[in-house]
Amino acid sequence: MSIIIEVEQLSRNFGGLTAVKDVSFTVEEGEIFGLIGPNGAGKTTLFNLMTGITPVSKGTIKYKGHLLTGLPPFRIAAQGIGRTFQNIRLFKGLSALDNIKVAQHSRTVSGLISGIFGLSKCRLEEKRATEKAWKILNLVGLSDRAMELAANFSYGDQRRLEIGRALALDPNVLLLDEPAAGMNAAEKHSLTRFICEISEQFNLTLLLIEHHVPLVMNLCDRIAVLNFGELITIGSPAEVQKNPAVIEAYLGAE
Amino acid sequence: MQEDNFPCQDIMTAVDFLQNFLNGISIGSVYAIFALGYTLVFSILGIINFAHSAVFTLGAYLTYSLAVGQFGISGILAGFRIPFQLSFPISLLIGAVLSGITGVLVERCAFRPLRARDADSLMALVSSLGVALVAVNVIQYLAGSEIYSFPADVYGDIRPAIMFHVAGKVVVIRTVQVIIFAVSMVILAILVYLINFTRIGKALRAVAENTSTSSLLGINVDRFILYTFFLSGFLGGIAGSLVGTSFGIAGPYFGVTYGLKGLAVIVLGGMGSVPGTVFGGLIIGLTEAFVPSDYSAYKEAVAFAFLLIVLLVRPQGLLGQSQIHKV
Amino acid sequence: MEDFLQNNGFLLVTLTQQALLAISLYYPLMTGQLSVASPGFYAVGGYIAAIMGTIDFFAPWRAVLGWAIFPLEWLIAGLVSAVLAVLVGIPALRLRGIYLALATIAFVEILRVLCLNMEITGGAIGIFGVPQMFENRWSYIWVFGPLLIIMLLFTWRLEQTRVGRAFKAVREDEMAADCMGVNPTYFKVMAFVIGAVLAGVVGAMSAPFLNTWNARQGTFDASIAYLAYVLIGGSRSMWGPVMGAILLAALPEILRPLKDARLIINGLVLIIASIYLPQGIVGALQRLRIFMIRRVSSMSGGS
Repeated sequence: MSIIIEVEQLSRNFGGLTAVKDVSFTVEEGEIFGLIGPNGAGKTTLFNLMTGITPVSKGTIKYKGHLLTGLPPFRIAAQGIGRTFQNIRLFKGLSALDNIKVAQHSRTVSGLISGIFGLSKCRLEEKRATEKAWKILNLVGLSDRAMELAANFSYGDQRRLEIGRALALDPNVLLLDEPAAGMNAAEKHSLTRFICEISEQFNLTLLLIEHHVPLVMNLCDRIAVLNFGELITIGSPAEVQKNPAVIEAYLGAE
Repeated sequence: MQEDNFPCQDIMTAVDFLQNFLNGISIGSVYAIFALGYTLVFSILGIINFAHSAVFTLGAYLTYSLAVGQFGISGILAGFRIPFQLSFPISLLIGAVLSGITGVLVERCAFRPLRARDADSLMALVSSLGVALVAVNVIQYLAGSEIYSFPADVYGDIRPAIMFHVAGKVVVIRTVQVIIFAVSMVILAILVYLINFTRIGKALRAVAENTSTSSLLGINVDRFILYTFFLSGFLGGIAGSLVGTSFGIAGPYFGVTYGLKGLAVIVLGGMGSVPGTVFGGLIIGLTEAFVPSDYSAYKEAVAFAFLLIVLLVRPQGLLGQSQIHKV
Repeated sequence: MEDFLQNNGFLLVTLTQQALLAISLYYPLMTGQLSVASPGFYAVGGYIAAIMGTIDFFAPWRAVLGWAIFPLEWLIAGLVSAVLAVLVGIPALRLRGIYLALATIAFVEILRVLCLNMEITGGAIGIFGVPQMFENRWSYIWVFGPLLIIMLLFTWRLEQTRVGRAFKAVREDEMAADCMGVNPTYFKVMAFVIGAVLAGVVGAMSAPFLNTWNARQGTFDASIAYLAYVLIGGSRSMWGPVMGAILLAALPEILRPLKDARLIINGLVLIIASIYLPQGIVGALQRLRIFMIRRVSSMSGGS
């Protein structure tokens, strides 16, 4: 198994505040890698740094050996890194189908003029994109409501749609930011199964931020623990659970 | 021979400089007062009140009506003469108070219904523009579209200008400029005192910082929004009246340019910052005054050039913050 | 029929022209950009046509090309607008929301002051005697009309394609669109340029139509008017700007008997519509349609 993501001495400062400090780790291809820590530990900031939303203050991020730091988000997405958001950022005014079609943008090429004049290459591309979007909707179980506006979906369905949208990027790496937030036990259970399935089916490497500890322990191959922007430890779920610094971080933070 | 000219040239340039400086400070302080109306509303509601220039215009007409009272030849009030005339300071004050009340009316008509409906802030733009359109056209309907000038003796017994001679050149300080500067400084001082040292000011700052928390703390947010709009209208009315006495009222649309320049002032100073607005106004006023007379036609573009450059280089302006803070 | 055209031809052409200018504002809005720069490009386009139509430098061109000088004017106006839009747009479109709107207001005002003071634009007086394309005003519908139809078709098709989806995604959530592989700056600039080119071409067509051209053509007032068309008509569909323009531009004419009160009523319409029609007229009609459909189905279901 090769290393697909390499983060080295990554830091991010906002004025006087250090959100992420000297974080280094690697992720192996095909892993399900968990990221946990108390609120405000810098987990989402780390995702934002990796996807290019927030500029890096210091350090590097490498993906398959290529440097990601300094690239704008759309280029990082085009390279095959998809994500979901903590607060769900679907395109509310677009239909579920269109949400998924948008994510295929970097895999398609029709331009302004060629698209409007409906050249055969573009029509073919459009047809393929639509088919693929339907497939993904089927996968997440939302194909019966393909034409409905994303705003009208229930919270749980929106989360599923958002994952589906990220899958449409044809990603190699998927960053999921608290995908189980607000779900009940049954939903969490089916989400865990779903994540395992897509990880296998699409040969994905997954990075997962999650607060629900049992879910993380069950699902992840390795877990990194963050506190106050610093990496406390990385290890298997068993190792992390027993680590005294981790326990202190969680209990101490109360 | 050369040495003789040198000191004279220096003095002449210094005199020009002084004249321009005085002009600049004067018009700059009016810009500042006017723009503070925008700043107050922006701090509280986060939107730009496009009806502010209409209140500016209204203030000018009101002060004129009270101080001079003779209407022109067009409009419904053609030829009408108000039976009494008040002294200038009283007219200014009453005109400003009425403008403040108008500000409150604007809030009631254009902004409150939109807040009640949780509407897009773009709609507040259209709504306030609609109010401006109505207000300006009502003024036009009543007073016509001609120019109204204040008579030279409007200030009573004070001389219209002081002139002093320096090295063969004349520096003119118009009385109205002194009045503008004095009124502006007084207003500013009162505003600073109000915002920083009174309970009302503290509450205003709290509301500006966070409306929901403030209302949880028992502050009647709606009432403070009202106070803000009154204050904003008051400032607009004063600015309009001062400009009106200084340059005359060139018709009901004379406030449009000031309205736009006011936007340049608040962007330059930093939207929501009171000291920033004051600096912004003075900077723009001074820059306009120092435009060489060969290029005087481009004076009008100064404010907008500032606006564009600031937005492109440093959008938050000089002292940009999004709340009224300690001045 | 002749009488109707004589009396109302000017109005109908004006309505079409205003609808086009509303669409020029709609394009940046499709990517979520509140830009009121259209009047600036409209003014530039008009000046290009006016200058090419009147000054001596272009006299040989006019002699050789005859009527074909008009399409050339449109082409050049479009190109100049495109270049200007890229130059202004790339730095300006980094701004968001009201800041962008203010930057475009500044742009329009600076252009206005420049045009007011340059010799080539005729200074404050402007340019008179711009040669006409047709003999009567009504015939101009043959340029504005087809352009409107082309723009409507273009926009309709756009909304069904990849680029149209990209526009909408950027409008909905720029950051999310970025993370989904859509380059927001590229599409914002594209939309801005399309709007600018449209406004410029309409300007070039309007200079002969109006016969004179001066700095009053590109003002903040015009910005407000076009913005009102789009917001009142509905900013989420291309029919919004069209309906808004037709209604609001026709309103002063319809209200003409009321003389002085008409602008007051215009203002009142803006206030009332912004409060009660948050999605514009088109949005209200859509809600009405959904309401009627539900009504009908519940009535037939009930019986």
